[in-house]
Amino acid sequence: MKRPPRRFDFVDVTLRDAHQCLWSTRMTTAMMTPILGAIDRAGYAFINILGGAVFDVCVRYLHENPWERVRLLCDRLETPCDALTRGQSLYTFELFPDDIVELNSQVFAKLGVKVLTVYDALNDNRNVESSVRSGHAAGMKVNAMMTYTLSPVHTDAYYVARTKELVRLKADFLSIKDPTGLLTPERGRTLFPAVVKAAGRVPMKLHSHCQSGLAPQVYEIAIRSGFRYGYTASEPLANGASLPATEEIGARARKLGCRTSLDARALKEIAGYFACVAEREGKPLGRVARYDPALYEHQIPGGMISNLRTQLQMMQMEHRLPEILEEAPRVRRDLGYPIVVSPFAQYIVTQATLNVVQGERYKTIPDEIRKYAMGYYGRLAAPPSDEFLERAAIRPGEFVTERPGEHIEPWIPRLREALGASVPDEDLLLAAFYPKPLLEPLRARAPQYEFRATPLSELIRFFGSRDDIEYAHVRFAGTEMTFSA
Amino acid sequence: MRKQTLTYEDVLRIVELVKSTRFSEFRLKVGGIEVHLRRKNGAAADGPALPGAASGAIAPAAREAGERAFPPGAVLVRAPMVGTFYRAPAPQAAAFVEVGAHVEPGATLCIIEVMKLMNSITAEGRGVVAEILVENGARVEYGQVLMVIGPDPEDG
Repeated sequence: MKRPPRRFDFVDVTLRDAHQCLWSTRMTTAMMTPILGAIDRAGYAFINILGGAVFDVCVRYLHENPWERVRLLCDRLETPCDALTRGQSLYTFELFPDDIVELNSQVFAKLGVKVLTVYDALNDNRNVESSVRSGHAAGMKVNAMMTYTLSPVHTDAYYVARTKELVRLKADFLSIKDPTGLLTPERGRTLFPAVVKAAGRVPMKLHSHCQSGLAPQVYEIAIRSGFRYGYTASEPLANGASLPATEEIGARARKLGCRTSLDARALKEIAGYFACVAEREGKPLGRVARYDPALYEHQIPGGMISNLRTQLQMMQMEHRLPEILEEAPRVRRDLGYPIVVSPFAQYIVTQATLNVVQGERYKTIPDEIRKYAMGYYGRLAAPPSDEFLERAAIRPGEFVTERPGEHIEPWIPRLREALGASVPDEDLLLAAFYPKPLLEPLRARAPQYEFRATPLSELIRFFGSRDDIEYAHVRFAGTEMTFSA
Repeated sequence: MRKQTLTYEDVLRIVELVKSTRFSEFRLKVGGIEVHLRRKNGAAADGPALPGAASGAIAPAAREAGERAFPPGAVLVRAPMVGTFYRAPAPQAAAFVEVGAHVEPGATLCIIEVMKLMNSITAEGRGVVAEILVENGARVEYGQVLMVIGPDPEDG
């Protein structure tokens, strides 16, 4: 009997991580709604619609209520929607009490989210427990992610141990998340089969970025190793700092003998639409990155290096940048190999800068770094170095060993008292995350959204967006349109 | 372009044409589509911006002209990095210290926020806060004097 072909399925990140990486998270709901119909037809298994940065940028910069976006996307899309949080930190880098994490899961489920994706930036799975439990209690599936990094302690055995913890927590899916594109095909060949085996019946997903240019090959290794899903983006918003293109990974999966549910016509329509949006809004398209070995040395994200260079210029110390980049790996080792993502990337860069500028290691240690070293945010991958501990002067009684969520009192009683018993859960959560003045602009009425997109309508929108055009007349297939400024 | 169809690729081609050419009047008739545009007087196609228009001349860093003299025996508390100076742990909280306060070694004097991380600045020795030279929330330069700690008169 012939075995039926294996399946490989896709999680779309076009509405979330893709624009987070390429457009500084500035895709508005109005840019999404016209193409939702095609996204639904494209054959994705899940659509990721929310993450920490999207939530925060909605509130701070786009002045959109993120809950309204989630509600609208879940209503319009038949494909199950996936929303991501940073576990006990939800959308920020602080820690929240269990009751806020639980209420967040309940609000997700109520708004129509089907999969709660959760990770902890320290890979301390005690920080995802409250999310997994409350996500399941609210009726969602839970996808737990492990963050990949390079260090002497982040071995295959380390990830196998984390996989087993997450299987014990009863996660429905497990993912490997590679936020800075450090995975290589060589590492995938040992790591992927090991975690697939440890995951047992729990399906694995891969979420890897394209900074090194190797991601498509890494996805192939994942497919061969038995991963069931890949996170990908529509072509104009794929590659570069983003994830690989759905079109490309789909083709590779089929070449490897897998069945996919992708609809090429819908994918083409989505890609054409977003290329037009990028053109109209002046946003960049993702470009395939060339392999760059420097990425593997300091691992500092490019955005952070350019930010640091600006700060050093202001101090007239730009010439010390190479020293700082050389100091960074040493600081990382002294700090017990944190993963080089927010907020730990800032910790490493800031401490390295202080060490170099002050001409003395650990003369000044930022408060958050001391707290991190005490275990306040969770378990470290490796103990901090003696030199660091001595300079930080952490007393034995100051180390935190319990689950970070344990040392935070519940907030909901206090918030309900302040906001009134009838406050909607969504508003209570926003008040837990943000000071009042930031929430005022969210009260404005949402614009009328457009739910259809055609090439003609995009052409007309483009003319309408140009200040230099005073008169436009377009005639096509029985449609005639004139406008003048 | 085939007749009576318009694809996103066609749209991108038309957009490219409009953006890359200088015109005051633009007429295009191809396949089933007709486009007629008029550009405002003086508006040019996308090109390099006028020099200086968007460069936003950066004001020279507001550094004190030279450093003034401080009384002998005074300890100067300096910023370890470029950052933002805070006198209190939270917006509504009381300041760590006021002028005239006695401080012990290790007492927190202020916070400098550097790249979104808070650095508590502590007193190195005993003394009395003689001067606070920076406003709460102000940007400070590397090495800028934030506070002056005078000798404790009781020690004298």
